[in-house]
Amino acid sequence: MELLTLVIILALTLSAGLFIQAWPLRHQPQPSYSQRIPFLGGGTPDTHAWNRYHIRYYPMTLLLIAFEMEMMFMYPWAVVFVEKGMMAVMEMGMFLAILSVGIVYAWREGVFRWQ
Amino acid sequence: MAVSWLRQLAARSCVPVYPVWGEHDEALLATLVLSTQIELVDSPRHASVLLVVGEIPATLRDGLKHVHDQLPSPFAVVWFRGAPLIALNAPIHVDEADRLVDTLIRTHRELMLGQRDSASRLLPDEPPNPWEGLGDDGHGGEGMMGGTPYGRPMAMNMQDDLRDGLTLDSLTFRLGPFYPALPSGLCAEITLQGDVIQSWETRHGALPQRLAPVFYAARERPVPIAELELARARYHLVQLYRGLHLAGLERIARHALSLARQLSTASRLDGLRRQLVRSGIFHLAAMDGGQLDTEMAARLGGPAARAAGLDADLRMDDASYQRLGFRPQCRTDGTVRARWEQRLAEIDQSLQLARQAEPDGLHTANTEAVETPRGPWSAKPPQDASALLDQLLPGLEWDEAMTLIASLDSREVAETSGRANI
Amino acid sequence: MIESLASLLMVLVVLALGPYVVAVMDRLVATAPRGALASDVWLGPLSRAAWLLTQHANATEAPDWQAWRLAPALYLALAAVGLALVPWSPTLIATDLVTSVVLWGSVEALATVVIFLHGWSANAVLPLIGAYRYVALGLSYILISMFVLIGAALPAESLQLTQVVASQESLWNVVRQPLGLPLFLVVGLGLTFWGPLNLADSTDLAGGTAAEVSGPSRLVWECARAVMLVAFSGIAATAFLGGWLGPWLPGPVWVLLKTLFVLALLLWLGQWLPRVAPERCVTLMWIVLLPLSFVDLVWAGVLALWA
Repeated sequence: MELLTLVIILALTLSAGLFIQAWPLRHQPQPSYSQRIPFLGGGTPDTHAWNRYHIRYYPMTLLLIAFEMEMMFMYPWAVVFVEKGMMAVMEMGMFLAILSVGIVYAWREGVFRWQ
Repeated sequence: MAVSWLRQLAARSCVPVYPVWGEHDEALLATLVLSTQIELVDSPRHASVLLVVGEIPATLRDGLKHVHDQLPSPFAVVWFRGAPLIALNAPIHVDEADRLVDTLIRTHRELMLGQRDSASRLLPDEPPNPWEGLGDDGHGGEGMMGGTPYGRPMAMNMQDDLRDGLTLDSLTFRLGPFYPALPSGLCAEITLQGDVIQSWETRHGALPQRLAPVFYAARERPVPIAELELARARYHLVQLYRGLHLAGLERIARHALSLARQLSTASRLDGLRRQLVRSGIFHLAAMDGGQLDTEMAARLGGPAARAAGLDADLRMDDASYQRLGFRPQCRTDGTVRARWEQRLAEIDQSLQLARQAEPDGLHTANTEAVETPRGPWSAKPPQDASALLDQLLPGLEWDEAMTLIASLDSREVAETSGRANI
Repeated sequence: MIESLASLLMVLVVLALGPYVVAVMDRLVATAPRGALASDVWLGPLSRAAWLLTQHANATEAPDWQAWRLAPALYLALAAVGLALVPWSPTLIATDLVTSVVLWGSVEALATVVIFLHGWSANAVLPLIGAYRYVALGLSYILISMFVLIGAALPAESLQLTQVVASQESLWNVVRQPLGLPLFLVVGLGLTFWGPLNLADSTDLAGGTAAEVSGPSRLVWECARAVMLVAFSGIAATAFLGGWLGPWLPGPVWVLLKTLFVLALLLWLGQWLPRVAPERCVTLMWIVLLPLSFVDLVWAGVLALWA
C-alpha cells in the first residue's frame, strides 16, 4: 500500500511535469537558428559545449567513495546501536577516526582545491 | 477563452527586461532596479522585453543582433535615446527617462494581450555551419574526428592545462559585449578548461562611461565640494550594487542603490556596512585573489590604485581639500577584498567631506586636475584598462574571475558629458 | 484506505500550493523589516507563472531533448517523493516505510544527478559549468546529511520517520542534538541550490543551468525547486522539531507550522548570505561541517546510550 501510494505520486508528478512542458509546445514552431545559439552575451562559441570536461575536484570524489562505503555499514548500525551499546560506539568511533585521518591527509594534499 | 484569461494574468506580471547598456546615466539603473514593476534579468531567455539604452557603436551591433535574436517569442524591443537598428514594425522609441518604466510596462501588456506582434529576428535562420552528413553517424568528418555534427565541430584540444597539466578538451568562445557580469561593451575571446580560464583575450574594451555632470563642470569652474563628493559616493554605491548583485546579495544590493538615489550629506553608510559585514561576504566570496602589482595599479589609477597602496589622489593638490584636511585613504594588498573595502572607505570619506564642506559652501580650487571616482583626470580622462584582464584572469576559476571583474572598474571616462540630463 | 487517500490528497495539495507559498514568503521575507510591501505580492507569483506559460520554450542548437525536458519533471517527482515521506500524524502519512530515512537519502543523491542533467543537456557553456560546479556541492553535502540524519535515527532505533518523531516525545532532537538542525539547514540550501549555495543557477553564469531555459520548462524547474524546499522543510520539521508533537493543536497543524518555520528560516538565510565561492564551499563542507556532523553523531550516540 505504501509503495503503491509512492508510485502513484511519482507517476502523477512526473507526468504533470512533462505535460506542463509539452502541452503549450503543441503549436509552437521550432525556434530559429539565430535564437538557438547558446547565450554568451552576444558572443558565439567555436564548438559544441559537450567535451571531455576538466572536473577540478576529482580527488575529492575519491574521498567521497570511501565515505559512501561507510554509509552502507551505517544504516543497519543505526538500528541496532542502542541494543549493542558501547561496542557499537567503539566500532563506529574507530571507523570515523580512520576516515578523519583521511580527510586531514586529503586537506594537507590540497584535495579540496580546484586542481 | 481559456487562453484569454491566462494572457490577461500574464499581462499583469512584473516586466522581465534584459537591458543592453550603451551610453547612459547611472541614475537610470536605479530607476529600473528599484521599480517594483520591472525585473532586470541576467539572461535574454528570461526576458520579454529587450531594452537598448543609448547609442550602440557600429562595432558592437553584431553582438546586439545576437542578443536581440535570443529572446524567446513573444518579445519586443524598446529603444531608449538611441536609433533603432531596423525601422521595421514601428519600433518603440523613448526619449524621456520618466516615461521609460511606463513604456516598458505598456509594451509587455500589449505583447501579452496580443495587441503587438513579437519582434522579428534580425539574423538569418541558418545553422552555424552546414552539416554535411558524412561518416557512419552522419557527423560529417573522418572516423571519430573532424566534421561539423549538428552544425558545429566538437571541442578538441591538446593543450596542457595551466593548473595540473592534464590534457583535456578546452572550449573557446567569445563572451560579450553584453554579458551582464561584464561591463557593457567588453568583448573577450576566452578559452576554458573545465571552469578555469586558460586564456582571456580582450577583443573590445568596455564602452566609455559618462560621469555625473558635476565632474565635467569641475574641469571648467570651481564647483561646490559637497555636490562633487556626493556624486562620487553615488558612483561608488552604484559599483557596489553591481558587485553585490553578482554575489547574489540582491537585497543588500538594492539597499546600496536606494541609498545612492537618496544620498545627501545626512546619509550614513553604517547600516549598509553592517549588513555587508554580517553577511560574511568578505570571507565567503572569492576575494583573496586579483592582486594588482604596482604597474597595473598605476595604470588603473583611482580607488584601485589606492587599494594597492599607491598614495595618489589629485584632491591632495587642491587648496580647498587641503583646508578640509583631506588625506587619501589606502589599503596595502591590492586584492579584490582590498578594493571593496577601499570603495566603502571612500564612500564614507566622501560623505564626511561633503558634510564638512557644506556649511561654508566650499568650492574646489583646482580645475586643471580633477580626481574622478574612476581615477585621476589631469591631461586626459582615465583610459580604458580592459586589457589588464588578459594578464589577471588566466588561471582563475569562473566565479573568481567574474568577482574580480566586478571589483575592477576598468572603463574609460567619456571626454564630454554628452547630452544634457533630463 | 481512507487514511491513504487522505494522505495522498495532502501531498497533492502541498505540491500544488508549495510554489505559491514559497514565492509569497520569499517576498515577505525580503521586504519584512522595511514594510515597503510590493502591491502585487499576492498576485505576483500567479501572473509570473502565467507569463512563463505564454512564453515560448527556448531551444539550443543541439540539446539532448529528452534529458532537457525530463530533468525539471524528475526534480519535481523527487520533491514529491520527499513530501510523501513526511508524516502529518502517526497515521496520516503517504509512505511510511521502515527505511524512509534511506529513501530520503536517495532523493538527495538523485537530485544531484537531475540538477546536473538539467545543466548538461542544454549543450551550452554556461549551463554546463553550472552543472559540473553543482556536482562538487552535491557530493559534499550528501555526507553531512547522512550523518546528521543517522544521528536523529539513533535514539529512535529505527530508520522510520514516524519512529523518529515518536522518539522525540520527551525532548525534541533540536535540543537533544543541537548541531543537527543547523547542519541540516545547510543541506537544505544545497539540495535546492538556494541563496548562498546557489552554485547551479548563479548570477555569474547568467542563470547557470537555467540560463538557456524559458517558458513552461522554466516554470516547472522553478516550481520543482520550491516544492523541494517545502519537502525538505517538512523532513527537517519531522527529524528535528518533533513532527506532529505539540500541545493543544492537532498534529497536522503542528507539522504545517513547523514546516513553515523551517521554510522561513531557509528563505531568510537565502536573502542574507552571499553566494559562496565553489572552492571555498567544498573546503568548508569537508573541513568544517563534516567533522561537525561527526561530533553531532557521537553526541547523539552517547546520549542515546545514556538515556
